[in-house]
Amino acid sequence: MIAAFFHEIAIAIMAIWTDKGARSTMLGATLFFSVFFPQPYLSEVVRDMPVAIIDQDGSTLSRELIRRIDAADAVAVARYAPDMPSARALFLKREVYGIVVVPPKFEHDLLAGRAAPIAAFSDGGYFLLNSVMSSALSNATRSLGAEVQVGRLTASGVDMAQAMAVVEPLRVTTVALFNPTGGYASFVLPAVFVLILQQTLLMGIGNLKAGRRSAGGLSTLADAIVYVGLYSLWAGVVLVVLPWVYRLPRIGDVAVMYAVVVPFLCAVTAMGLAVARLIPTKEGVIFFLVVLGMPLFFLSGVSWPSEAMPKLLHAVAFIIPSTTAVPALVRVNQMGADVRSVETAILIQLGLCLAYSILAMVVGRPKGKPAA
Amino acid sequence: MARRAHLMAGFRRAFLAELRQIGARPGLMFMLAPFPLLLFALLAAVFQLGLPRDLPIAVVDQDHSTLSRQMVRIVDATPEVAVAHEASSLSEGRQLLLSGEAYAVVLIPARTERDVLAGRRPEVVLFYNNQYMTPGSLVARSVGGALGTVAAGISIEARVARGADVESASQAVTPVPVRQSALFNPSLEYVQFLLAAVMPTVLQIFIGASAALSFSRDRQGVAGLGRSLRLGGTLMRTAAGKLAPYTLTYLLVLWGADALLFGPMGVRFGGNLAFHVAYGFVFVLASQMLGAAAALVARDTVSALAAVGVITGPAFGFTGITFPRLSMNGFSTVWADLLPVTHYLELRTDNILRGAPFEISLPAFASLTALALIYGGATLLLLWLHGRRRPAIAVEAGT
Repeated sequence: MIAAFFHEIAIAIMAIWTDKGARSTMLGATLFFSVFFPQPYLSEVVRDMPVAIIDQDGSTLSRELIRRIDAADAVAVARYAPDMPSARALFLKREVYGIVVVPPKFEHDLLAGRAAPIAAFSDGGYFLLNSVMSSALSNATRSLGAEVQVGRLTASGVDMAQAMAVVEPLRVTTVALFNPTGGYASFVLPAVFVLILQQTLLMGIGNLKAGRRSAGGLSTLADAIVYVGLYSLWAGVVLVVLPWVYRLPRIGDVAVMYAVVVPFLCAVTAMGLAVARLIPTKEGVIFFLVVLGMPLFFLSGVSWPSEAMPKLLHAVAFIIPSTTAVPALVRVNQMGADVRSVETAILIQLGLCLAYSILAMVVGRPKGKPAA
Repeated sequence: MARRAHLMAGFRRAFLAELRQIGARPGLMFMLAPFPLLLFALLAAVFQLGLPRDLPIAVVDQDHSTLSRQMVRIVDATPEVAVAHEASSLSEGRQLLLSGEAYAVVLIPARTERDVLAGRRPEVVLFYNNQYMTPGSLVARSVGGALGTVAAGISIEARVARGADVESASQAVTPVPVRQSALFNPSLEYVQFLLAAVMPTVLQIFIGASAALSFSRDRQGVAGLGRSLRLGGTLMRTAAGKLAPYTLTYLLVLWGADALLFGPMGVRFGGNLAFHVAYGFVFVLASQMLGAAAALVARDTVSALAAVGVITGPAFGFTGITFPRLSMNGFSTVWADLLPVTHYLELRTDNILRGAPFEISLPAFASLTALALIYGGATLLLLWLHGRRRPAIAVEAGT
């Protein structure tokens, strides 16, 4: 019995190695995607986004404000435009991504203690560029405004400490946790890596099993153990080594990570066996999985909060292992969560594993179509 | 005239043969129109509710003063967040962050109110989860804004107490207000924009994959490409006839999704419709040629599909919709330029959102057309090579 089992294990390993499709998805594609996918995001943050300035005041204070805007890491003053139409033309040509207008009498109003508003224009279509622009502007205007105010108060005979207390009676400090620099790669990749594991494992199983009859319980169990074992190794590479290579923040405990990874891989394997029985051709399985990658990413709630999704959709999405495993693994790896914080996700994975195993058995039994 | 009719006949034969192929495969039929539309519905549902509201946060109020309660009330009143938890300690707050039950923790230390009144400028700290960047930064902005309002109120009171009138005191609080407005997409309908960008990216996968399947199936089949070539007569007509059914269907899907977007979903169409139709057509062609060329390079159907998957699957990151193109490395910039969808989305943005004049869009349109021609040329070249090689193989097999 035990010898037969080890024999099946050996067969399962050999099957991955000898099937070209399985080898290229389970070995090649996993590594390839993990290197290829991160490329657009590797610079992490937007630096020196070019903006155009229309300085209608031309005063010392307007130049000081522009200097402070330019000093922000994310933004660079690239062009001075004489008027709005020419600034707009630069914008349409994508030579600048924002326009700042400092109106006439800016300095005059500011020194007189009146509000001296400036106008800023950005592209509402680009979330990231928009927020980069507004944070650069609010930092520059706030620091300049506070200095002018404190200067006015001290000039009228108030001492420095009191002037500060009037201008800023309550300090609000904002601390970004887990991804302190707001890096885009640090945000997207930990979730994407988990999805890559799921999708390539499913594709591999599709390659090996689609349209084939089940070779019996022992053989299927051996296959499952080999897949979970192989992908546990991949999980180490993709979730521990690669983040280190790309310098992504990772503070989690590897043991806790595996407490989530192993049930997750079991659920994915069971799902893969079920899908391979439901979709009879290799091409069908692969196509289905390639197309589904992006919707699954959005469903995981990492890039788009699950609170903002319809409840029903979120509930239906639970049948995909990644929906709960992605956030759980991100919380463990990037935020340092302990087992207690992710126990629900672990239980869901085990439940899915059971459900898909039953489904695979039920679908596999009666028909027994000949291999395509 | 007769020659023209003959040309059309070749195209029609290839076209009809392909239609019969599709008709014989329910799976292929499903992937032509119902599946992409289903995915569109799924994605539309994900973003249906628009920007998130009432994101849960936790508060650690160690002050229990009138001021601290006022802060909690004002924070809770912002539409984006809801104070869902009152934690007794910071470590309890941290646990709520780790378990995903809260996106941020606001710490109001003891004696905050007393220190404010004494002019000691106490500190209120907002910890937010920036690993979940979209909700995290949204929460940070609205909670920061709400706390700023509280601080501004105190500042105004202090100035009035010093003898300033309310009007000038409130102006003095924000001496340099920023009137930020969006030049385009003024309603900041980011969600619709995202959906409008995701759909063509997903369609590019479908279009490329269907072309790859169509060509590699012929190569695998008993008769091989030779039969298709004979049906069509010439390379050009064979390729056109084989691909036309898919071109038509995916154009309908693309425009169908647009019709939903600009119709029931209420997205504003501010561009030139004829131009929109034109670059949509070139986009579908370029994506098909990409898939066809991949199929003719790959050894079998599975590798053809895998190649298309590798090229089109991760495309979204390269298009610059989420992370901007101006911050990408050299490889990503070049790779993005090779993807039809990058140019298509740029043209869409320019035309629909920005209402840009045609000459602004000319470079992107030229790039998209060039891609269609390059991939199309590669497809024809490969078809020609295969057509030539086949007899040689037959001879080899015969001997």
